[in-house]
Amino acid sequence: MNKADFESDLQQQLVALNREKQPERELWSGIELALVNSPDVVNKPKSGKIYALVAGVALIGLVSLLSFHTAQKHPNGSDLIASLSAQHQQQKQALLVQFQDQPALTSNWQEQVAELDKAELAIKAALKNEPNNMALLKLLQNVYQQQISLIERVHSPKWSQI
Amino acid sequence: MRLSTLGNVVAAEHKFASKSEMDLIKAVQGGDKQAYHKLYQQYIAQVYGLCYRLTADKSLAEDAAQEVFIQLWRKIGNYQGDSKFSTWLHTVTSNITISYLRKQRGWLYRMMNFEDSPAINELAEESSSTVDIESYIVRLPERARLVFVLHAIEGYRHEEIAIMTNMAVGSSKAQFHRAKQLLQEWMGYE
Repeated sequence: MNKADFESDLQQQLVALNREKQPERELWSGIELALVNSPDVVNKPKSGKIYALVAGVALIGLVSLLSFHTAQKHPNGSDLIASLSAQHQQQKQALLVQFQDQPALTSNWQEQVAELDKAELAIKAALKNEPNNMALLKLLQNVYQQQISLIERVHSPKWSQI
Repeated sequence: MRLSTLGNVVAAEHKFASKSEMDLIKAVQGGDKQAYHKLYQQYIAQVYGLCYRLTADKSLAEDAAQEVFIQLWRKIGNYQGDSKFSTWLHTVTSNITISYLRKQRGWLYRMMNFEDSPAINELAEESSSTVDIESYIVRLPERARLVFVLHAIEGYRHEEIAIMTNMAVGSSKAQFHRAKQLLQEWMGYE
């Protein structure tokens, strides 16, 4: 039996190969469960980026508003911090739900998120003494943006360009 | 029925099938989960079959197939109908499965070159007369198997495989040659 016979036999077997195979385990219920947790993502492949953009614009808007108020009258920095935090938490939770079943590119991303949480707490502690300190507010905004960017980045696989 | 009429009927049926499939895809793209379940039922055997040949492991293949359908829900909006849906789906499946496989194989696995597939033991228990080509394919070492499946069965060029598997084009060709040498030996053509 020579190489030509092998090539011919291989080709015949590949043509006859049944491409379909049924899994032994029932898979749909797991898929369905994952879909329930991400109901609005179909046909919106760039929704995460849009979220981040909207959040960024909103944060810049809020900080600009504070700058304006600082120049015009006595500001209420505590309210702004509360508003920034609430908006960030909402944004963060939305992303975490969206990506909860998607594999992450790094295994320690949650630790990195936790470190940024600690930074957030430290900045907020400092802001309690100086609620109108613009540098601290911008730092808080920066930490929030880093967290959103991190969650986005670790859940964006290379093949997403398909 | 005359042959030309039969041809028209076949063509019409083919067109109808394509249209109904496109309708189904459009429904899924619009967020219809019942339509997605139908699409799943239509393609799960193809997707799992490819996952199994790429991973050579039933459990990994089931997990990978599940991952494909979870991510497909998010990605199906990218399908514009430029190519056959099954072709597009096979590309998505291949990429997700390779990525999944890469995550499952740790650093130690790669460094120690533990390439033998779990299917080796399954094959050893079968007599040679009952062994089919798929049993041989899943017995191939991992890199040789990935290249063989993608090139010989799925029809990708080595340049495409190199990108998908993150290996050089030359390595892809070498792995394909290795796969064929092993198959030749196992199939008794020495």
